[in-house]
Amino acid sequence: MKKNDSDELIIAYKELAFQHQEKENRAAELIIANKELIFQNEEKESRAAELIIANKELAFQNEEKEHRAAELIIANKELAFQNEEKEHRAAELIIANKELAFQNEEKENRAAELAIANIELAFQNKEKEKRAEELFIANQELKQAEDDIRKLNDELEQKVIERTAQLEAVNKELGSFSYSVSHDLRAPIRAINGYTKILQEDYADKFDADGVKVLNTIIRNSKKMGELIDDLLAFSKLGRKEVKVSEIDMTDLVKLVREELLYEDGDNIPEFDVKILPPAQGDKSLIKQVWINLISNAIKYSRKKIKTTVEINAYEQDDLIVYYVKDAGAGFDMQYYDKLFGVFQRLHSQEEFEGTGIGLAIVQKIIDRHKGTVWAESKLNEGTCFYFSLPKTKPLN
Amino acid sequence: MNYDNVEILLVEDSADDAMLTIRALTKSGLTNKLHHVIDGAEALDFIFCEGVYASRNNKEYPKLILLDLKMPKISGIQVLEKVKSDPELKSIPVVMLTSSNEGPDIEKCFALGANSYIVKPVDSDNFFKAIKEIGLFWIKLNQPQH
Repeated sequence: MKKNDSDELIIAYKELAFQHQEKENRAAELIIANKELIFQNEEKESRAAELIIANKELAFQNEEKEHRAAELIIANKELAFQNEEKEHRAAELIIANKELAFQNEEKENRAAELAIANIELAFQNKEKEKRAEELFIANQELKQAEDDIRKLNDELEQKVIERTAQLEAVNKELGSFSYSVSHDLRAPIRAINGYTKILQEDYADKFDADGVKVLNTIIRNSKKMGELIDDLLAFSKLGRKEVKVSEIDMTDLVKLVREELLYEDGDNIPEFDVKILPPAQGDKSLIKQVWINLISNAIKYSRKKIKTTVEINAYEQDDLIVYYVKDAGAGFDMQYYDKLFGVFQRLHSQEEFEGTGIGLAIVQKIIDRHKGTVWAESKLNEGTCFYFSLPKTKPLN
Repeated sequence: MNYDNVEILLVEDSADDAMLTIRALTKSGLTNKLHHVIDGAEALDFIFCEGVYASRNNKEYPKLILLDLKMPKISGIQVLEKVKSDPELKSIPVVMLTSSNEGPDIEKCFALGANSYIVKPVDSDNFFKAIKEIGLFWIKLNQPQH
């Protein structure tokens, strides 16, 4: 033997001793552990029994729980449905809410607009009140003005009544003046004329030639004065006479006047060429006087011509009918035309052609009163044409 | 004085006019039975046989009355009215004489029953002619009915 082997045997002995020890230790420990295990086993068995009981309990509980779970599932489903419903409702509510919100906004807008409108109205209202007040004042002023006008009108009417009464009085006075003039002036002239005539007839042998001439002059002049008075009265009467308008057959009227005049005047009567005349509206007696004066003038101023014609005709011009009497007699100088229609104006001497000079003035006045016009054209020694127009429509007044 | 057989009663206040009228009628041979009174009052006395005419035979009526219109006291119109409203007298022709046709009386005279109306012309020739014609017409041609 070598040393190393010896050492290794010692060491291995020692190691076996130790392991033996260790195994004894280990066995002791195992006995203890075994004892422990037996106890533990016992414990575990009581524990198992307990566990079985507990297990049963758990199984029951489990079953309960399953029931409960089933119920919960149903409840859950119910809840899920309700949930869904609620979600729908919520969605609807959201929409409704949005709608309401929108409406609300609209209303607020509207309210704002109304507020503005309200302010505007309040302003307008105030303006209107102001205006109403102004109108009230204006109305009062108008009323005042109306009262004033009415008062003025009443005054005017009163004045018109007074003036009319005055005019009527004056007219009446003129009427009685004319009556007095014609009655009281004519009587002495008639006496002068009549008594001179008696002298002439019954005492002619007591007068020499000059005396007879004087008597003739008195007779002639008194007669003339009578004519002048009559003419003047006839003329002044025209202005007062009421114009009674009626339809006049002018052809008939001219025929009548001509016959009357030809019956009166004997010598050197002109030929008449009377056309069919349109009818007129006027006062028949006055228009007759116009024809009498114009036709007798034509006859008078034609007398010194050997054989002449008087033409009577008419034509229409606008709203007028123009009648005319045209003679081929003495005529007159147109430079004296402005005297033609004057009262007592004559363009011929008494010796040449007798007359008072009232005839044409009467014609003019009558035609004036019929709203017509009278005029003439003439040439000395060649003849004269007298025209008068009458309105086609009914004359006023 | 005998007022019977008076054919023409001339009622005229103007002596001058009356003389001219009478002369004209004389020249026409009509004045032998003419009586002239100078106003309306006298005319009524004559016609109704009163006053100075009380003794006149009230059955004798003139055949014609020539009555001037404008006279003092009682006017021609008043005389006319009395004559024409009397049933006994109204058939007597009454011719109104006046100096003018200006008065408002012409229509009134005819309304009251005047038979004629003449305006005395200034010219004596015409005056004589008018009076003569009236006299002849109403006396010779137009005999009163009673």
